[in-house]
Amino acid sequence: MSFIQIRDVSYTYPNGFMAVKRVSTNIEKGEKLAIVGQNGAGKTTTVKMMNGLLRPSKGDIFIDGLNTKGYTTAQISKRVGYVFQNPDDQIFHSDVYSEIAYGPKKKGLSEEEISNRVEKVAKLAGIDRYLDENPYNLPFSTRKFVTIACVLAMDVDVVILDEPTAGQDYVGMAQITKLINYLQKNNKTVITITHDMEFVVNNFERVIVMANKQIIADKNKRDVFWDFNVIEQSSIKQPYISELANSMSFESKILTIDEFVNYLFNSKKKV
Amino acid sequence: MVLIQARNITYKYPINDGQSALKNVNFTIEEGGFYAIIGKSAAGKTTLCNVIRGFIPHFHRGDLQGELIVEGKDIREWEMDELAKKIGFIFQNPFTQISGVKDTVFDEIAYGLENLGVEVSEIKARVKQIINLLGIEHLQDKNPYELSGGQKQRVAFAAVIVMDPDILVIDEPTSQLDPKGTKDIFEIIKLLKERGKTIILVEHKIELIAENADYVYVMHEGEIVHGGKMEHVFSDPKVLEYEAGLPQYALLGIEVQKRNPSFSRIPINKSQAEKELKKWMEKQEVY
Amino acid sequence: MRHIENFVLNLYPSTKLMLPIFVAISIFLVPSYYYAYMMLPLCMVIALLAGKLKEFMELVIKGLLVLVLFIFIMQSIIAPGEEILWNWGIISVKKEGVILSLTLTSRIVAIASAFLLFFRITPIQDIGQALEKVGMSPKFSYAIIATFQFIPEISKRSKVIMEAQKSRGVETEGSLLTRIRAFIPVLGPLVLSSISNTEERAITLETRGFSIKGKKSHLYEIKKSNVDIAIQIFTIILMIFLLVGRLLTWY
Repeated sequence: MSFIQIRDVSYTYPNGFMAVKRVSTNIEKGEKLAIVGQNGAGKTTTVKMMNGLLRPSKGDIFIDGLNTKGYTTAQISKRVGYVFQNPDDQIFHSDVYSEIAYGPKKKGLSEEEISNRVEKVAKLAGIDRYLDENPYNLPFSTRKFVTIACVLAMDVDVVILDEPTAGQDYVGMAQITKLINYLQKNNKTVITITHDMEFVVNNFERVIVMANKQIIADKNKRDVFWDFNVIEQSSIKQPYISELANSMSFESKILTIDEFVNYLFNSKKKV
Repeated sequence: MVLIQARNITYKYPINDGQSALKNVNFTIEEGGFYAIIGKSAAGKTTLCNVIRGFIPHFHRGDLQGELIVEGKDIREWEMDELAKKIGFIFQNPFTQISGVKDTVFDEIAYGLENLGVEVSEIKARVKQIINLLGIEHLQDKNPYELSGGQKQRVAFAAVIVMDPDILVIDEPTSQLDPKGTKDIFEIIKLLKERGKTIILVEHKIELIAENADYVYVMHEGEIVHGGKMEHVFSDPKVLEYEAGLPQYALLGIEVQKRNPSFSRIPINKSQAEKELKKWMEKQEVY
Repeated sequence: MRHIENFVLNLYPSTKLMLPIFVAISIFLVPSYYYAYMMLPLCMVIALLAGKLKEFMELVIKGLLVLVLFIFIMQSIIAPGEEILWNWGIISVKKEGVILSLTLTSRIVAIASAFLLFFRITPIQDIGQALEKVGMSPKFSYAIIATFQFIPEISKRSKVIMEAQKSRGVETEGSLLTRIRAFIPVLGPLVLSSISNTEERAITLETRGFSIKGKKSHLYEIKKSNVDIAIQIFTIILMIFLLVGRLLTWY
């Protein structure tokens, strides 16, 4: 049985606006996947149902066999962590350490366990030198890592990242890549909403494409980014390098610079 | 014509709250040019924007050394109200860039002109003109608070452009926006360039800079470490040492060159990449 | 855009303010609850003239009706009295209680509806402009307007923050104690991020020329007309008249 099961789920907001329509998929433990699509396609509504912030209007979501309908968000948060797009929606302590320690404290861990855990996740998130700082004195991109560290400290099974790369530079991107790999190595499920297709190419295998409230594709990234039907329907962008390979009529579904260069030199030999 | 000239600017914020300092910064901004500033976080890009716009030293205290000459006059001698008319400023966070005292987008855009004491009939005409120019007629009666991030950012541009500044300092305008919002903002920036405005843009989306900018300055740890014509900077692998990033096409070109040095010209955009690669492939086949 | 030609809406803010002032003072000068209850229809007539009757009634019904009914019932039952009007088990409604609650609720209805109407027909920007005209600093009137404009934002922001905190395990549903405990994690980001935003807001205002010296123009200039002066004088005379009448009938 899959770790997360989404079974024919629809969601209609109280004002009558339908945001998600009959979505079904399964996600395994330790899997990492990206959800892409335009704003308003239903991505955020879908992941909010996974951690119980929203209850499906129709259909059911099971996490590790348990129906989310029977639990509060706070209860689900012990299994599913959600990093919001805007870190300023959550930070309320005057130093980074206390902010990260808040979750473990609520879990009832001992002082020593808490401090070990905080230091470990702060290091992973690349913010260990800021533990005594006031989060609001840090740049926006660093504050985002504070909130990521908070979720890591909860040691959840599923981590949902909403637009983690927004406002990040190359160093920040590399840090996020490192974190995702770490989580996967520890058998955690990572689900990311993103608009950055280069980020998808470099970090994920499985891609779910949403458009107009529905899942229109759920497959390997290579098949997604070379399916021009899907690209057109969802208005996502092909990665830059794929675009170039396409307009040069390469006979290979290229996604990365390495693949491009290899293709170039191998095809040359043939000539 | 030289519009802005910086000579040996050194600056440190009075309280270190995560903002970076500047070290011995020199640069020149020509009238009508489109300048992009790139570099990793905390390299000093925002601080530099604050100096150019005069928030340093007029708004933030701290010790500013060296000189920044705007139209022949040092930034310290400029009055803040003259600067408000001369240099427009737009930054990252769409949510704080509204006045907070207006009910409609139309009134929000008019706010700057009200402060300048412009005649009401002229205000209305100018606001209408900007609304048409940016194609935001559908937003004009909405409450600024109720807009999406991308819409807010477009209104922020309109509210600054309506004051008709000659120079625009734009600090990471798209980092909180989706691809559609980003595209809209770059359309506006292109429009401003066509109208002869001088543009100074900080941006992480390198591929979009490569399609639009004339010049690029690279910042690293408070210094300008590299700079010049955009084509030169973006085809130079040295930029990578400063973790400032290069367009995907340049990265590809560098990889090809590593494998075969006869690929000599590093492309910076898609059409160049296609052209250079095809040319090179043909040559390879001849030999 | 604002300012449709309308007699009531085009009045000067201080003229409009005469309404709540008049109501608040006169209901104490005229002690009859009939009089105080008449203030609601008066406000409704003004609202009708301003073309805001529907919005005004919605506010009155949503905001006042439940409160008034609650006070009325509680007062009628609890207040001590001799004359019992109606009896049901241990609950008895006494005449004194009914009169007391009629007086109390009539005054609440009168004052609240007058103020609700005032803020319905007076844009906060006009109040700010009027205050600036009597010499208040633009910074101060900015603060007032910005605060009023921000109030609906606060509830929206707190909803988002509530979601973010629930997602990290803050229990916000359940007993009163749980809800109180959730208060700090929700209030914290609201206050902290607002503080960290003030600098950016200040920079925004600076780019829009807020601190430019010299005369500012107003897209919607408010002007005091002769009608305004007439209404203000008339209202003041009326209040003096009521005051004198009250003093003469004092016993």
